Amino acid sequence: MTTPAPTDGRVALLHVDDDDLAACVACGLCLPHCPTYRVTGLEAASPRGRITAMRAVQWDGAALDATFAQYMEECVQCRGCEAACPSSVPFGRLMEGARATLQEQPPVKRSPLRGVAEWFGFRVLLPRHWLLLAFTWLLLVAQRLRIVPKGVALPRLSARSLVRPLRPAPAAGEVDAYLFTGCVMDAWQRDVHRAALEVMEAGGAAVGLAGRGGDCCGALHVHAGRIDEARRLATRVVASMPGDAPVVVDSAGCGAAMKDYGHLIDTPEARAFAARVRDFAEWARERHLPLELTGRRVVVQDPCHLRHVQRAASFTHEVLARAYDVTGTDDDGLCCGAGGVYAVVQPELAGAIRARKVEALQRAAGDTAPLVASANPGCLMHLRGAGVDVRHPAELLAAALKKERPPL
Amino acid sequence: MHDLVNDLRAALGTDRARAEPLELALYARDAGVARGRAAAVCWPSSTDDVAAAVRIARRHGRPFVARGSGTGLAGGATPVGDPVVIVTTHMNRVLEVDTANRVAWVEPGVLNLDLTRSVHHLGLHYAPDPSSQQACTVGGNVATNAGGPHCLASGVTSTHVLALDVVLADGSLARLGGLEPDQPGYDLRGCFVGSEGTMGIATRIAVRLSPDPPAVRTLLLGFDSVDDAAATVSGIIAAGIVPAALEMMDALITRAVEDFVGAGFPRDAAAVLLVELDGLPDGVDAQIGAVRAVASERSARTVRVAADEAERALLWKGRKSAFGAIARIAPDYYLHDAVVPRTRLVDVLEQVYAIAGEHRLTVMNVFHAGDGNLHPLIVFDAREPGIWDRVHAAGDEILRACVEAGGVLSGEHGIGLEKREAMPWIFSADDLDAQARLRDAFDPTGAANPQKVLPAGSRCGEATRVPEGAWI
Ligand SMILES: Cc1cc2nc3c(=O)[nH]c(=O)nc-3n(C[C@H](O)[C@H](O)[C@H](O)COP(=O)(O)OP(=O)(O)OC[C@H]3O[C@@H](n4cnc5c(N)ncnc54)[C@H](O)[C@@H]3O)c2cc1C
Ligand code: SF4
Ligand code: SF4
Repeated sequence: MTTPAPTDGRVALLHVDDDDLAACVACGLCLPHCPTYRVTGLEAASPRGRITAMRAVQWDGAALDATFAQYMEECVQCRGCEAACPSSVPFGRLMEGARATLQEQPPVKRSPLRGVAEWFGFRVLLPRHWLLLAFTWLLLVAQRLRIVPKGVALPRLSARSLVRPLRPAPAAGEVDAYLFTGCVMDAWQRDVHRAALEVMEAGGAAVGLAGRGGDCCGALHVHAGRIDEARRLATRVVASMPGDAPVVVDSAGCGAAMKDYGHLIDTPEARAFAARVRDFAEWARERHLPLELTGRRVVVQDPCHLRHVQRAASFTHEVLARAYDVTGTDDDGLCCGAGGVYAVVQPELAGAIRARKVEALQRAAGDTAPLVASANPGCLMHLRGAGVDVRHPAELLAAALKKERPPL
Repeated sequence: MHDLVNDLRAALGTDRARAEPLELALYARDAGVARGRAAAVCWPSSTDDVAAAVRIARRHGRPFVARGSGTGLAGGATPVGDPVVIVTTHMNRVLEVDTANRVAWVEPGVLNLDLTRSVHHLGLHYAPDPSSQQACTVGGNVATNAGGPHCLASGVTSTHVLALDVVLADGSLARLGGLEPDQPGYDLRGCFVGSEGTMGIATRIAVRLSPDPPAVRTLLLGFDSVDDAAATVSGIIAAGIVPAALEMMDALITRAVEDFVGAGFPRDAAAVLLVELDGLPDGVDAQIGAVRAVASERSARTVRVAADEAERALLWKGRKSAFGAIARIAPDYYLHDAVVPRTRLVDVLEQVYAIAGEHRLTVMNVFHAGDGNLHPLIVFDAREPGIWDRVHAAGDEILRACVEAGGVLSGEHGIGLEKREAMPWIFSADDLDAQARLRDAFDPTGAANPQKVLPAGSRCGEATRVPEGAWI
């Protein structure tokens, strides 16, 4: 293979490892597991195509242009391809590297508005939880006044939830587990945390919350290629939950990012912290929980960051099965299209991908309208946007806790 | 060039044809190694669209190449001669399922496994199951006459295709074959199956669906020597058992596969066999006993019967990931596809290992043991200078060794661009000329997937060479 020098004089080397890039044998076995390929049928919207495009830029001197940027930005970063790849191509790493390069050398001038929005979101809002909460109040008012544009997939915000902070029962000594509450989820879906807390305490655990700085895990920053910002946030999160107690995370996306802190910050502390991170169901399955059988059928949607990245999706099925008639979908865990901010920046693709998922959920439910469990706040909101009844597994478990158990 | 794209867009829709350089780069190859260059790529959504695309290509003096999922291993979908690439991924509907007659009409872009899944609730499946079945299209399967582990008992693709609607090289339509068993006249359907896109593009396919067997069991056998494994294969067949599938993997590939799936393949065995038995429950149990007996006679060290469907599925996932999993050892592979007489297997394998050793290359083997279809894979890193010469030299010697042992080039993966120079080893000049004339009868202009299957100079008195921009 000849490797001509870049033709446009630009040194456009991607922040990716050449061996990672060489690892793809172009077999195509990942294609059906890629949501964007499934809905477009385009090589350019497939894992293999995206890798070939990266190779063209990295090795064959193709320009780092708008077309390339488009191919990269259409990826949901669900990593379904990574789980399906027999050659173990580390696709997530490749895509994060390509995005980081695009972040540094954007081939198309971004609209100033988008620049301001990104700066405000990533740099100002997410790292400052008090500000995010204040902003959420504004949104709530806007929502009640019906001035939030229709396209914005905002969940119905709750003032009742926002005024009531999470209050774990005080622990006598060391806590048995931390519950990580994060940024947007705490502002928009605090009731899920409340349910998780209730279940954890019903399981006999003394639960602690993160201290100062444990506001935002940085997952959204990593996906956007904003690695330095992500590192700063991650370092703060690690410091906010000292000790050896497991760190329970009820957002699959956050959990995946936090389990990867060892790679992101690469210090012994970060590695030790990452080893303590558990998905909510992963933690709950080892606990006795006072549950009663409800007889209700629940269709479990496996969030990509739980199934393909954490490879821990089976625990949700296992724990829910203690109280529900649990069934999965027949689509090999194909992504629902939520993907962090993906649904906002690529609404058309996200909508088409979601339509496929809704069909799969409906098939699994049979004749009735499906009651769906999703362990990721992003998927939850995205699927609710299509009118599906989606709950977090913690909420379903809390609803199935035995009523006559001794009061906490 | 822009006229070409504009015409395609006018006929198929604005977002249905492209020619940006980066876009074309993504369609330069399939899962094989040969690369070419397309003039434009288009995505039709109906038979009429395909016919229009073919006519537009012809009007602009260009050939055309059909492409499904691009999982072909022989460069069949590699664009040669600046063609228009016609991709079938948007034609992916199962059009009609006739449960009573067990026939389905499908569009060519339907994925093989999706078809099986869509009729699963009817207790039916589509029998040909190439290892790439999750990703490859039925159209691609028809064009390569694909086989798979379960084709041992049920036959390859051709057996399961009843009728085809095709767009010929001049853009006209034809129906080949039919649903009634005895079709009068020549079997043109049979000619088209396996023609690798050189006779036209299939746009609707009538396939036969098979009933799911009442019972299925899979055995995993591990051996300390390839000899024992090969002898067991012969023993099973001599005992009168026709397994639904009978597959062998050598030591290196077994390890690579186990690292991917973790299904409990013995990492230190010299060879493993996967044996699948199906039929009525009692019969299957009796066959398991018989296979066990043969295996222990040949000193199998492990004999495991998959306990449930999940374990069975995992074993097959391992086998079907074999080609992909080898990248754990090196990033590129060059694959051969030959059929050797089962009795010569041990002998041929020894030669294969020796040839690779001489060229300082690593080779691994997967084998559809039941029908003698051997897949030696040379694994290497294409970035190493000068490696291609060694790979090609070793590849040629391996194929020759197979042919000399009385084997043939298999059509399972197609001949495409990469294997066509080996055609004269098994066909005489007259044979090749006859094949070239058959192809000409379908496509006198040579516009349908040019330079594939038949080597340059197959027509008596003709000499072409691989054009600039394509390399093998
Ligand atoms: C990991 C792996 C395992 C594999 N295992 C097997 C196996 O077990 N058995 C096996 O037989 N093959 C196997 N293959 C090879 C490959 O999957 C098959 O050849 C498959 O049939 C190709 O289908 P496709 O949709 O990818 O076609 P493509 O690669 O896109 O095309 C293949 C050929 O068919 C032509 N074509 C495609 N669609 C049409 C159409 N509608 N009309 C006319 N011509 C058309 C193309 O021009 C080309 O010549 C394997 C490949 C991989 C990567
Ligand atoms: S990413 Fe993996 S599965 Fe996809 S084409 Fe490359 S090697 Fe095959
Ligand atoms: S991460 Fe998801 S969307 Fe992106 S290429 Fe892989 S499978 Fe496709």
